[in-house]
Amino acid sequence: MKDDCRIGFYICNCGTNIAKVVDAEQVCERIAGLPGVACARAYKYMCSNPGQEMITRDIRERGLNRVVVAACSPRMHEPTFRKALEAAGLNPYLLEMANIREQCSWVHDDPRAATAKACDLAHAAVRRVRYHQPLEKVEASYAPATLVLGGGIAGLTVAVELAEASQPVYLVEREGKLGGNVGRADLTAPYLDSARDILAEKIARAEASPKLDILLRSELVELRGFVGNFRATVRTTGGPTRDLAVGAVVVCTGYQEFDATRIERLGYGRFPDVITSFELERRLRMGRLETDDGRIPRYVSIVHCVGSRNPRYHPYCSRVCCMTALKYGHEIKSALPAAMVTDLYVDMLSFGKGGEDFYRRTSELKTMFLMYEKGDPPRVRAAEPGDDCGLLVQVNERLSGEVIDVPADLVVLMVGMEARADGGDVARTVGISQDRQGWFIESHPKLAPVSTATEGVYIAGCCQSPKDIPDSVAQARAAAAMVLAHVAQGKIEVDARFAEIDPDRCSGCRMCNELCPYTAITFDPDERRSSVQSALCKACGTCVAACPSGAITARHFTDKQIFEQIEGVLAWSSSRSS
Amino acid sequence: MADRKLQVALYWGAACGGCDVAVLDTDAFILDLAAAADLRFWPIAVDGKYDDVEAMADGELDLAIFNGAVRNTENQHVAELLRRKAKLLVAFGSCAHLGGIPGLANAASRDEIFHRAYLANPSLEEGNVVLPVTEKKVASGTLEIPKLYRRVHKLDDVVPVDYYVAGCPPAPEQVKAVLKAVISGKLPARGSVVGCSERAVCDDCKRRKEEKKVKRFYRPWQVLQDPERCLLEQGIVCAGSVTRSGCGVRCPNSGMPCRGCYGPTAGVRDQGAKFISAIASIVDSRDPDEIASILGQIPDVMGYAYRFGLPAATIPGTARSL
Repeated sequence: MKDDCRIGFYICNCGTNIAKVVDAEQVCERIAGLPGVACARAYKYMCSNPGQEMITRDIRERGLNRVVVAACSPRMHEPTFRKALEAAGLNPYLLEMANIREQCSWVHDDPRAATAKACDLAHAAVRRVRYHQPLEKVEASYAPATLVLGGGIAGLTVAVELAEASQPVYLVEREGKLGGNVGRADLTAPYLDSARDILAEKIARAEASPKLDILLRSELVELRGFVGNFRATVRTTGGPTRDLAVGAVVVCTGYQEFDATRIERLGYGRFPDVITSFELERRLRMGRLETDDGRIPRYVSIVHCVGSRNPRYHPYCSRVCCMTALKYGHEIKSALPAAMVTDLYVDMLSFGKGGEDFYRRTSELKTMFLMYEKGDPPRVRAAEPGDDCGLLVQVNERLSGEVIDVPADLVVLMVGMEARADGGDVARTVGISQDRQGWFIESHPKLAPVSTATEGVYIAGCCQSPKDIPDSVAQARAAAAMVLAHVAQGKIEVDARFAEIDPDRCSGCRMCNELCPYTAITFDPDERRSSVQSALCKACGTCVAACPSGAITARHFTDKQIFEQIEGVLAWSSSRSS
Repeated sequence: MADRKLQVALYWGAACGGCDVAVLDTDAFILDLAAAADLRFWPIAVDGKYDDVEAMADGELDLAIFNGAVRNTENQHVAELLRRKAKLLVAFGSCAHLGGIPGLANAASRDEIFHRAYLANPSLEEGNVVLPVTEKKVASGTLEIPKLYRRVHKLDDVVPVDYYVAGCPPAPEQVKAVLKAVISGKLPARGSVVGCSERAVCDDCKRRKEEKKVKRFYRPWQVLQDPERCLLEQGIVCAGSVTRSGCGVRCPNSGMPCRGCYGPTAGVRDQGAKFISAIASIVDSRDPDEIASILGQIPDVMGYAYRFGLPAATIPGTARSL
């Protein structure tokens, strides 16, 4: 095969991103002299339309049968250049990219050495591409039903969107009712509309939809299969265990609140009038803005960043607390105009639509704002006899530099959001990963915010990171749109890169069985052979490396291809060092 | 072929003698061999000189069976000689096949080996600092001994090889199978490892295989083993999964872990690298310190991984020995 290779080599300047460090013309000249290279060109932007057309034209006119593009990371533009090959009728897998931007020009500043390295990387790609084989994608069907985990605002939104688009949905909620954390709130910032109203409308639509199956007091216990073809086992307390065929799973399991007893000096759990934001919401919903023993508070102190933005607990911002605290100031002042409200904050983060305006309006309500140092939360103690308040909140006030005792009959702690303690179980069951804080990880923070590393499993709402209701709803609708796009196709294309087990070489040792992060490997006890379900495989290579008898091959990552690449990268560098 | 007796030579290079014994171990079959073949050269069993072989016509021998690694100029000379004189050259046993136990010497340099053997050996008399030399003039002329190479080589590093017979030593059944194949003229594809499976020892091992997750590695004497269950799953370091089957699972069937003497399976080019990947894959921990401590329970990982095949490894020895 390699003897009749006609390789086209293209090196991109990426404007000045590559060209300012790497001498592209020089790389071109050296690569042009390699066996099998039929043409070698440099161009300003290979990913541009003229760049792609150059490849397509050369394939047609010069009869190229392999293409190497030395440019950016394949994560960035491999799909682009594959399309250029396809446009000329060449199998897209006959492309190899050499990453001379992220792995060369961006990280080196010596032009001579960087150009030499770019030559080596390009040489490796040329050596490798000679052993590329045309690969065909595989098609699989896509079950129309979707499993939604969590009946909070995000899960409800996903479920209603899908059901109203006439697709079957199973909405699984652990608790006995829908609504999640939003169901525990009174009014919402910044427009002060009622959380209850927002939810009631969604729940009514959910309950009215014939396509939507609401499973309360239920949990997902096992998920098998792959995108478009999952089998979900859902257990209902006191009810049946169901085996559901679903094409996609949307995880909307939300968050839990920070346990305020962990910050001892705040006095939560010790003083009954130190309460959390959720406890205040409850009193507001019941219309009883009172202290523990039923008195009307004259002084209310609101403490921000409880558990958030504090390296000892959670380094991140919980995003909704500042706005909610401002909302409390507003609600308390509306109900009890004579009350004195103090707002103890670290930084006032009132970003987002309507946020700054809400801050301005609520700060005109004669709330007293006192700033404390991040990591130095206020200290709550019982008031002295003779004081006209129940508690004293001692603040090291940053702007004045003074230690101030703030009077309080009620102290409200703005407890932050944290990943659910059992989030790891959910992550393992559906095959997604968590970051250091336990939030579920999306495929790409900007470009694929609701997809995950497991195809067909999506995340939406606060299980991904703290966010407010509009953002949760936006993510939920995005996830629903992703699902609908696949359901509309009715089938999925599975990447042609996957691991294969040669049954004539498998020894049934079972070394690979437990290693697959995507549970793509099954063992047949009668035949005593393992096999890979190609649709589930992500071509990570774990089993390939582990297979002791060399029975597993990763398509597009064969030993031959990788050894050629190594030989190529070393071919010129060994002559340099000697 | 029946009208003419087979012309056969056997030779040992850097070897322990076990491979020759394995040929003798075929019991009464050796008499059939003697009936079917002229044993033209076999240092362990038949008197003969290199000159006798030199005197043969090229290709006069039907079969040359070479066991042992290539360690010195003499080994290479005889390998080249037999290659010239024989129609078929068989690399017999682990040393000729992959370098074998002598190949472990590639973990050290020649100087280090000489230092250890001739200068720092605890059994030396004090003041005895004699190092071997390859040439020595004496009254009657110059004496020569073969020159020790810097590295140990497998047979096909120095001459083309037609067939391989794996094992340390090869199982008697396989010895018979090879000789019968040559006698009958029914030969497998050139370059193949004769009489073996394409798969690993696990394929023929009857022990029960379950989940492979290991928290503690043991040497065989450190633990009471479950005779029914996969040894590796019990933490006993067994090379069966990285080793070509064909031996009849002799070691695991006797309660001992496979040591890997049949070399890698058909799909693998570096048995030791595969051994290390495979062992690393089954360590049941995600904590780097714990992983290091679990792997630390395997003494001499390199020696275990490449016990029979260091000269055949992708990185075939230490930098000092290269």
